[in-house]
Amino acid sequence: MKKKLLSALLSVAMVATMLVGCGGGAATETAGEASGEAGSLAYSGNISMMHFSTSEESEGNGGSDGFRTCIANWKEANPNITLDETVLANGDYKTQIATMAAADDLPDVFLLQGMNSISWAEQGLVYDLTDSIASSPYSSLYNMDYLVPFTVDGKYYAYPALTGGTCTVVVYDEAMWKEAGFDTFPATWAEVEAADEYFDGIGVDTLGFGNQGQWNLNSCFVSCLGYQYTGTQWFSDIIAGNGNASFTDPEFVAALAETQRLFHDTDLFNEDFNALTNEDARERYISGEAAAYICGNWDVSYIQATLEGTDKYNTTKFAVLPQAADATKYEKFQNIGLGYGVAINAKVAEDPDKLAACIDLAQYLTGTEFSNYVGEKYALGGFCGSDFDLSAFDQFTQDFYNFSYVDNKGCEIYDSYVDGSVWSVLNTEMQEMVNGDKDPATVAADTQAAYDAYLGK
Amino acid sequence: MLKSIRPKNSVIAAYLIIPVALYIFTVFAPLVAALFYSFFEWKGGPTKTFNGLTNYTQLFNDETFWTSFQHNLFLVAVCIVGQIGIAFIMVLLVNSKLTKWKGIHRTFGFFPSTISAVCIGYIWLMIYDYNKGLLNWILEAVGREDAKKVWLNEPGIIMLLVSIPLIWQYIGYYMVILLSAVSSISTEVLESAEIDGATGIQRARYIVLPLIKNTLLVCVTLCIAGNMKAFDNIYVMTKGGPGYSSMVMAMYGYKVSFEQSNLGYGSCISVGIFVLALAVIGGSQLLLNYFTTDKYDRDEQKRLKQIEKERKQAIRLRAKAAKGGSANV
Repeated sequence: MKKKLLSALLSVAMVATMLVGCGGGAATETAGEASGEAGSLAYSGNISMMHFSTSEESEGNGGSDGFRTCIANWKEANPNITLDETVLANGDYKTQIATMAAADDLPDVFLLQGMNSISWAEQGLVYDLTDSIASSPYSSLYNMDYLVPFTVDGKYYAYPALTGGTCTVVVYDEAMWKEAGFDTFPATWAEVEAADEYFDGIGVDTLGFGNQGQWNLNSCFVSCLGYQYTGTQWFSDIIAGNGNASFTDPEFVAALAETQRLFHDTDLFNEDFNALTNEDARERYISGEAAAYICGNWDVSYIQATLEGTDKYNTTKFAVLPQAADATKYEKFQNIGLGYGVAINAKVAEDPDKLAACIDLAQYLTGTEFSNYVGEKYALGGFCGSDFDLSAFDQFTQDFYNFSYVDNKGCEIYDSYVDGSVWSVLNTEMQEMVNGDKDPATVAADTQAAYDAYLGK
Repeated sequence: MLKSIRPKNSVIAAYLIIPVALYIFTVFAPLVAALFYSFFEWKGGPTKTFNGLTNYTQLFNDETFWTSFQHNLFLVAVCIVGQIGIAFIMVLLVNSKLTKWKGIHRTFGFFPSTISAVCIGYIWLMIYDYNKGLLNWILEAVGREDAKKVWLNEPGIIMLLVSIPLIWQYIGYYMVILLSAVSSISTEVLESAEIDGATGIQRARYIVLPLIKNTLLVCVTLCIAGNMKAFDNIYVMTKGGPGYSSMVMAMYGYKVSFEQSNLGYGSCISVGIFVLALAVIGGSQLLLNYFTTDKYDRDEQKRLKQIEKERKQAIRLRAKAAKGGSANV
């Protein structure tokens, strides 16, 4: 009898293990019945939510910290609703959410990446939020430009989430560049190349970059340099797919050629840029092995947290990409946007009370509470405008705020739009291109072929 | 078996159904699902459009897929030689009378195969690192600074470089398998060969190898199957780059499915991997069988087959004749 019982227990344990295994490796945080003021929502029950603001991420990233804080506040204010959160690191999140979308099994509330908007909206996976955005209590404060990546046929499919951060910024050590003879970061690539002689002499990389992940060269370099050649209309036409722009246009090919020249024909960058991750490359800036580092806002948050209290913290400054000699549309571009938005599974609409609760959550997570929190604590901006005293922050924070929101011209982040199938080809082939193994025209032609396939041509 | 201790058939069936269900759920169902979805244009989401053999036509013309297949074949070839070959040499060394602390050798040899592939990837990432890596540090220390390279950005040798961690990781694994096979060889056979004057190499070639042939076949099959689906440590080290230089089939399937959200074509790639892996395993077994059987054995096998054929023919004729006879009666 004992043996039978033991066998039965083991069998149950085995099946349970299988089922748990099938649930994936995600950390599932289930909100308990929060105490506090009761919410005004009619819905009572569970809402599933998936995002990538992990506790580790929130330690150095204002947007993540604000997002998590607002989730906690909302849970506390709505004790009748149990929010089942699945929180993954960003890379895992992208894979997991794509798998769930493929299985038509998206969570009730999730973060939609701009480049998936068209495909998922066309397949009816995401709920049309146009009316709710118009009637939102925060609507007068919304920066409507941030909605562009989530707009399909004039309808909005997500509330732009987290903080509007730049994807291309040159972080440089003012003191080191002064020694090289430049009071501020050079405005042209020719000047940067001139400075390279000095930095080579002292055994320091002029510019640090990491492209092992393959997306970096697109998101943090070409997506900004491209605008110097194409201007803003070209990418608007690419997004629209109206046939007025193509990746084989001479302007875009020229941008790729300049990228190849800078990475392959000069010694400006660390030699191992293609084998180094952006995380490793930023360590080289922090340790003084690189005089400047080209990166995105997430790296700036890390650099700020790491350098705080050191001399280098006070001498770290920000600049836009220098002007390419043959670029005819140059402006002080920096690509900025909100790459993700809070979206709602279209199936939630079957339960109006639940839908109202999900919309309330989406509005709260992107509303003034969030904007004020990240504004007052980190001097960052979100979908909603916020009013805070910038002078209360240290110089580093003020400088980065002005770089991101005041001094420069914002342009779009390429891979917030169009489709992953296009960027996957461009990103992979550019890695060969900057090694000198593929010419820019071929990369452009292959990208255009992927773009045509995406457009269904 | 005594009836009193033999469980009922239903109990045996109930126990057996667990592994069968597990197999169906984890292997068979995904395979059938992949085959089904490979006939659809499916860009994620509920919408799937049947497109017949379009994905397979694309697969046949997909240069990147076939390049990835070549990379897998390279991995297989290098790993058969590196993993099983070195493991076999190590087995002979560990089994040698002169070797002390055999247990320690076995344990430390097996140790790398217990580490996760991702960790192995990171360890070798540090070894290959351009600025602080062990490899470039050694080159610098021996005065060969000119030979320093960004190792993981060298398309010409990148496949070899990503193979080395795989070889390093699995030598111990195959060593343990081969060691158990070699241990089962009677020491008398080896000792008499030694008395007859056979050298170590001759003993290995003419005695050990033929006697562990079946185990070798298993090792080769495992090695091929493992390397046809190689993914994790290459993903950590290069993400298939630079460009497609270290792209392998599984990674390409992943990239197409999840980066490009093309799940229909991704399923088609999975089916392609399955078919090609079966073909390579089957082909390798035939080759291995051929090379590990000498001419005398092959002739003997042919002769036995012929005898068997003639015997069956004779039985058939006899039966026919008997049938005819009884009809006549």
